[in-house]
This record gives sequence, structure tokens and C-alpha cells, in this order.
Amino acid sequence: MNKFKTLSLALCSATILLASSCSKNNDTPIVEVSKLSTKTVADLDGSTGAVYYSLSTGAQVTGADTATNKWDLKFKSTSIFVNSGTSGTGTTQAQVVSSTFETLTAAPADGYKADATGANAITGWYTYTADTAPQHAILTVPGKILVVKTSAGNYAKVEIISYYKGNPNTTTADFADLTKRPASRFYTFRFAYQGDGTTSFK
Amino acid sequence: MQIKIILCFLLQVSAVGITAAQKADSLKKDSAKQLKEVVVTGTRTQKSLQQVPIPITRITSEEIKKKGLIRLNEVLSEQTGMTILDDPHGQGIQIQGFDPAYTLILIDGLPLIGRTTGIFELSRITTNNIDRIEIVKGPTSSLYGSEAMAGVVNIITAEPAKGLAGGLSARYGTNKTADLSLNSSYKTEKFYISGFVNRYSSGGYSLETASGIPTVSPFEGYTLNGKTSYKIDNNTTLKLSVRYYTNDQDSRFLVDTRYAAGTGTEKDFNIAPVITHRFSDKVFSTLQLYRSTYKTNSDVRYEDDNSVYDQTYFNQAFNRAEIQNDYAIQDNLKLTAGLGGQYETVEATRYTKLQSFTSGYGYFQADWLPVKKLDIIAGGRYDAHSVYKSQFSPKLAVSYALTDKFTLLGSVGKGYKAPDFRQLYLNFTNAEVGYSVFGYEEANAGIQRLQQEGQIESVLIDPSTLKRLNAESSTAFNFGFRYKPTEKLYWTANLFRNNISNLIETAPIAIKTNGQSVFSYFNLNKVFTQGVETDLSYQLFKPLQIAGGIQYLEAYDQDVLDQIKAGKVFTKDPTTNLTKVIKRSDYGGLLSRSKYTYNVRLNYQDEKTGINTSIRVIYRGRYGYKDTDGNGIVNRADEYTKGYVLVNASLSKMFLKDAIRLQFTAQNLLNYKDSQVILNLPGRLIYAGLAYNFNK
Repeated sequence: MNKFKTLSLALCSATILLASSCSKNNDTPIVEVSKLSTKTVADLDGSTGAVYYSLSTGAQVTGADTATNKWDLKFKSTSIFVNSGTSGTGTTQAQVVSSTFETLTAAPADGYKADATGANAITGWYTYTADTAPQHAILTVPGKILVVKTSAGNYAKVEIISYYKGNPNTTTADFADLTKRPASRFYTFRFAYQGDGTTSFK
Repeated sequence: MQIKIILCFLLQVSAVGITAAQKADSLKKDSAKQLKEVVVTGTRTQKSLQQVPIPITRITSEEIKKKGLIRLNEVLSEQTGMTILDDPHGQGIQIQGFDPAYTLILIDGLPLIGRTTGIFELSRITTNNIDRIEIVKGPTSSLYGSEAMAGVVNIITAEPAKGLAGGLSARYGTNKTADLSLNSSYKTEKFYISGFVNRYSSGGYSLETASGIPTVSPFEGYTLNGKTSYKIDNNTTLKLSVRYYTNDQDSRFLVDTRYAAGTGTEKDFNIAPVITHRFSDKVFSTLQLYRSTYKTNSDVRYEDDNSVYDQTYFNQAFNRAEIQNDYAIQDNLKLTAGLGGQYETVEATRYTKLQSFTSGYGYFQADWLPVKKLDIIAGGRYDAHSVYKSQFSPKLAVSYALTDKFTLLGSVGKGYKAPDFRQLYLNFTNAEVGYSVFGYEEANAGIQRLQQEGQIESVLIDPSTLKRLNAESSTAFNFGFRYKPTEKLYWTANLFRNNISNLIETAPIAIKTNGQSVFSYFNLNKVFTQGVETDLSYQLFKPLQIAGGIQYLEAYDQDVLDQIKAGKVFTKDPTTNLTKVIKRSDYGGLLSRSKYTYNVRLNYQDEKTGINTSIRVIYRGRYGYKDTDGNGIVNRADEYTKGYVLVNASLSKMFLKDAIRLQFTAQNLLNYKDSQVILNLPGRLIYAGLAYNFNK
């Protein structure tokens, strides 16, 4: 009995230690030389229309600011626009890179595009399932990392995680059921923004 | 009600002929016992089943009858290492992990045409009036040419018994599915003529009954078959066989919010005159002519205003002349050589004009037994074609009898599949979605036409730079054994590996202004399939036979494996939706391939009462059927179906000295259904059948 007690105690304390150390890391990202900030945005609400986001401030952009170059990404239904060309007054450019979020440690030196008519810089981040179960769903494609060069010339990497409210598991029966499926056009994504102007994501 | 009427009718008919009903089945049994188990498909010459050095399965008519099976798809679905695929274009067969397009279906050695996207609908073929079915797995293309990459299913029709013979058989059951056959034959010393009529119909079924839309629509098909032979003298025989099949199927489905309905007709006609002549003890020649046509016609209209939804036709013709010489140089060395020419045409709604192929071929085979225990077969075939590159397909097969009871066999050979009419000549634009598909030969003209019409946004690949479409090809390795220690036990096993290259796939060549793509065909992928298959049957005690078989199969795309190795294939974790890198072990291989399939078969035959009971359990392991995480491959649990078990059983009793067989058959007794994924499983099927044969 005693053995069990000590064992469970040890396990408990280990878990607590581990958990606390983890959360510490999350709360204060180590900003030493690099100015990298990492953030996960949950359920950015685009259900009533286009929604604008600034990667440098890590916040939604609204009102008159949406007509300026203060935003980087604009989400409207299944389209993601960058603030340039046919989409905005800024010079934000982007490209889509095949990688995991973690293993992309540097932004490519070139290959960035501005938005143009019928040719957005960001494409191919989702698939539409049509008649295949789960029917009529927008599913994010794995390994599609959006690399953005902002109007200020800073680099960010973005992974789109979900198109549905609450980032649901899309393999469940509930998700397949159109009457139970969470609302769409709620964007969950994570990004890392490098504020020092280098291409490094370390 | 209907079933009762039919049964009554049949009983009356059979009562009339009872006196004549004496020897029919019993005679057959005796002669069958005396005959050695001979197969012809592997080498195009008669060989003993134990000796032939390539994997071959032989299914006798008696076995099929005992199981209460009638259509070819029913028979093949119960064989070890064979899987009937569920596809909207028909029920085709998967052998050694190959799609249905790679198995040739033959009747008496002659190829049947009429495939939809490569699939040959097997229920078109009745097993009425056959002697046996031979299935060869692996590289047989060296004798049969294109399409025989995975193997060959050869239906050998029965030779009539002497005198006047005839019979009637009927099966009726679930979904108003009825199969009726009427056979008769007459044979003398020099001459025979035989024929049958078969009617196969069904009320269809719906897996989504609430929708009012049938999964399989009602159909009604007829097969007429005639065969005659005349021995001019001891050395020369003339033969003629004719087969006609027609099928009408109603269809009804939902297009957006409107219902469309119509009828599709399918017609299939074959005629094959043959003359054989024995020049001497050593030289035997066969001159064979063959013409086969396949026609479909479909007219589907909207129900509300009777306007046309889809009107299509498809006419295909295949003509062949072939001469084969068999030359026995010595007792232990036999040569076979053949020459042939083929002319094929197709004319269809989706083709610009009548298209034709001309091809010629020659094949050669030496069957040499340097010592009694060793059989070496070497051969090859050369195909010259008017449209695609010529093909040479060599083969080497060896069997060695370690003992009288144990034979080792191994073979290596090349197979190929020619680009079909669709891949060369298709000219199709989907009216609803707006994409276009052009065959290789049509791509240039098609793109130019669309450009002139202002429909092309950008050209991805200049069609004038397209590489000439090449045949798909494979190299196959088979190694196995046959073991027959006693009359009671028979055990076979085969290891296989198929390296397939130049697989023809579609890829976009241009983007249209409507955002859709224009596709054409390319030689793209390299895939391989490998696995092992084993089958064992054992007569446990006199009336009870137990048998079973297993296949383990791997089928992978080599390019995907390379991508995985390079860490370039990703998935999403279903709980977090974050990207992960895929490992080799996550990759589920090609779609629709089950890693594990097995079957267990029991047969109990009571000689005294004439009662035969047969139970078969067929398992098909899980298989990938879709890609939901957007990486184009099967890897996540939700991309697989569940594995499932089918239990089929039949109970029959013979009456009146084996002249009458009364039978109850059940398929899918456990009523397994998956209305989302598996559309060819309508649930439990119960049939009652009655057959009557006479011979005098």
C-alpha cells in the first residue's frame, strides 16, 4: 500500500511540475535576441462578413483601419487575402510552403506574391468534401504553411487550423451530421511573427 | 406469390419429363472422376493442374451448383485472393491488388469487351451451361496480350453429353431477383449442337429507402447462346459459337432538386467460328475468327418537363483472326506458336468521330520437360499497334516436383495494358461542373478549340509537347507450391510481387476561365503490389469437407513512399487539427485494397439422402476508400471502411436419381450493410432454386 501511495504521490507531483513548467513557457515566450512571437487565435469570427487581422499586433483590425495597410490577412468565407494588389493598399505578400509549422525554421528568401484578380497569393489551404463524408465540409489541408511578408517587411508563418467554431474534430459522426456541425467561417490559426526583419523563425 | 407460381410451373414441367430424367447428373459425375484435372488457360494447351507452373484456380460447375451460385460475380467473390470491388460503374474483380481493368475475362479463350472506366460488370455472365472456370493469376500477358496483367478468368463452356439432353433451372428471391435458364443439346458421334436461353432480372434495391432513389435500379437481361461442332473427319473439326446478351436497366436519380429518369440498354454479341486440324501426331493447328460487339444506349430525361438530361451511346467492335500451331517435337518438348491480327473500333457520344485501332501480334511458347520432374515453359509475345508503342512480353515459368505430392512453382514475366480508347480519344466536357477531359490524341485539337472559344485562362502544359502515351507495364514474380499428400488434402500457396510502371493517370493541362481544369492522360505513377495467398482444403471425414484461404496484400504507390521518406507528406491530428508528418507505417496504400482477406468453406454432402449443405464465411479486412485530410493518400482511421464478414449458405437436395435439384441459397446471412460506402451489398438475400436435367 505504502509503495502505491509514494508512487502516486511522485507521479502527481511530477505532473504538476511538468504542467507548471509548460505553462510558464507558454506565458512568456523567450525573447532574447529574436523578436519572435507565437500565438494561437481561436474562432476569429468571419460569420457575418470579412474579418481583418494584423500579425504584427496580434489583433483583429476593424472599422476605418481596414482601408489602411494596418492589416495583413483578410478572411472572407474560404478566401484568404493579403493586403496588397487587388485586395488592399498595403504591400503584404505571401506564399504557401509545404511543411509542418514547427519544422519551418526560416522563411524562404523569395517566391512571394501580391494578390491579383483570380490569382490570390494564398490558395490551396482547404479542400471541399462535396459528397464524400463528412459531406459539404471545408477541411484544412495538412502541411500548408502560409508564409507572409508584411507591409513593414517582417516575416510570419501561419497555419490555418480550422474553419469551424470551436476547432472541432472533423472525423466524428457529429461533425458529419450537418444539423450538429458547428458554425463555419470561424477561423482558428496559429502564427509566429518575426519582428526583427530577419527570415528566422527560431 | 410470384415465386409460388414459378415453382408450380416448374414442377409441372419437370413432372412431364421424369421418365427421361434418369442418368443425367450421375453420368456426369462418373466421367468427371475418370478425367484428370486438366487446365488450358495457363499455357493455351492442355496441362495437368498439378504440373502447370503458374498459379491457377479451377472451379468446377458442380462446385458452383452446390453453392447455389449463378452469376460470375457471385462465384468469383468467394474465391481466395479475389475481391469484388464496389464501384458505381459495376462489379469488377481485384486480383493481386490490381484494379478490374487489368484482368481479362474470356469465354472459351476469347476476350469479352464492354468495360465502363475499365470495369467489366461480372454479373453480365451466367454460369449456366459451363464446365468450369479457370483463373490464372500473374503474368499471362505473354499469351493473351493487353489487359492480362493481373490475370485471366476463363469460362470454359460445357460440351454436351451424347444424345438428347436438356434442362431447366430457376432461382428466385429477395428484391424480386430471378434467374431462369432453359438448356438443350443434341450430340452424335460427329456432330453436336447446344444452346440455352437465360433471363436474369431484378427489382433492384435502395440502401436509402427514404430517398426514393434506387441504389441499383431494376433490370432485365437475356443471354442467348448457341454452339455447334462438326467433325469432318478424324483430324478436322469445325466449331461455331454465338452469344448474345441484352440488358435493360431503368434509372432514376436526383439532379439538384429535380428528378431524372430513363432507360439504359446494353447489347453484347460474340460470334466465333473455329477450324481445327491435326496434320500429324505432332502437329495440330487452330484457325480462329472472332467478332465481338458491345453497344450501350441511354436516354435520361427530367421527370417534370421531359427535357433531356443525358442522351448517350457507345458502340464498340472487336475483330480478330488468329492461327495457332501446336508442334510436339518430342514427348518432352512441345512448341506453341501463334499469329493474329485485330481491328477494333469505337464510336460514341464522347468521341469526336469513329476511332479505330489496328494491331498484329505473334506469340511463341516452348514447354520442355528435360527430366520428368521438371517442367520449363518459356515464351513471349510481340504486339505491334497502330497507335501506341509496340510491346514485347516475355515469360519464364518453372515447376519442379520434389515428390509426387509436392510441386514447387515459380514464374517471372512481363505484362502490359494498352492505353484504351478513352485514354486516347475521349473528348468530354462535364455539363454540370464544367471540367473537360481529352484523350492524348485529342488534347492538342481540344485545347486549340477551347482557346478559340475563349474558354482557356492559362495553359499549364503545352499539348504539343505531350509525350506519346505508352502502355502500362508490369514485371511480375510468383513463387509457390502445390501439395497433395492424399486425395483428401490439397494445399497451395503463392508469393507474388508486381512492379507496375507507367500507370496512366489524369493530370490537368490547362485552367479554364470558369476555374475548372482541362485534364489529359499521362504515364505517371509507379506502384507495386505484393503479398501471399494460401488455400487449403481437407476432406475431414467422408461427407464433410473443410477449406479455407487467406490473402495478405500490400499495394503502394512508389512515389508516395519516396515523398514520405523525404518527410513531405502531412496529415492533421484529428483532435487538434495541427499538421503532423506522416511515417511509413501510417501509409495505408492504394484505395480499395484490403490488407487481409480470408474465407472458410464447409461442405457437407450426404450421399444417402442427396442433401448437400454448404456454408462459406468471407472476410474482407478494412480498406481505404477516401482521403479526408487533403494529402491525397489513405492514412487516417476515418479514411478506412470497417472490415466485414459475409456468410453465404446453401442447402440442396437431389431427387429422382439426381435429375432434380431443389435448393435454398442465402447470401450475406448476417445482413451486413454500409449504406454510405459499400453500394453493392443490398443486405441479406434469400433464394429458392430448382433445376431439372434430362439426357436420353
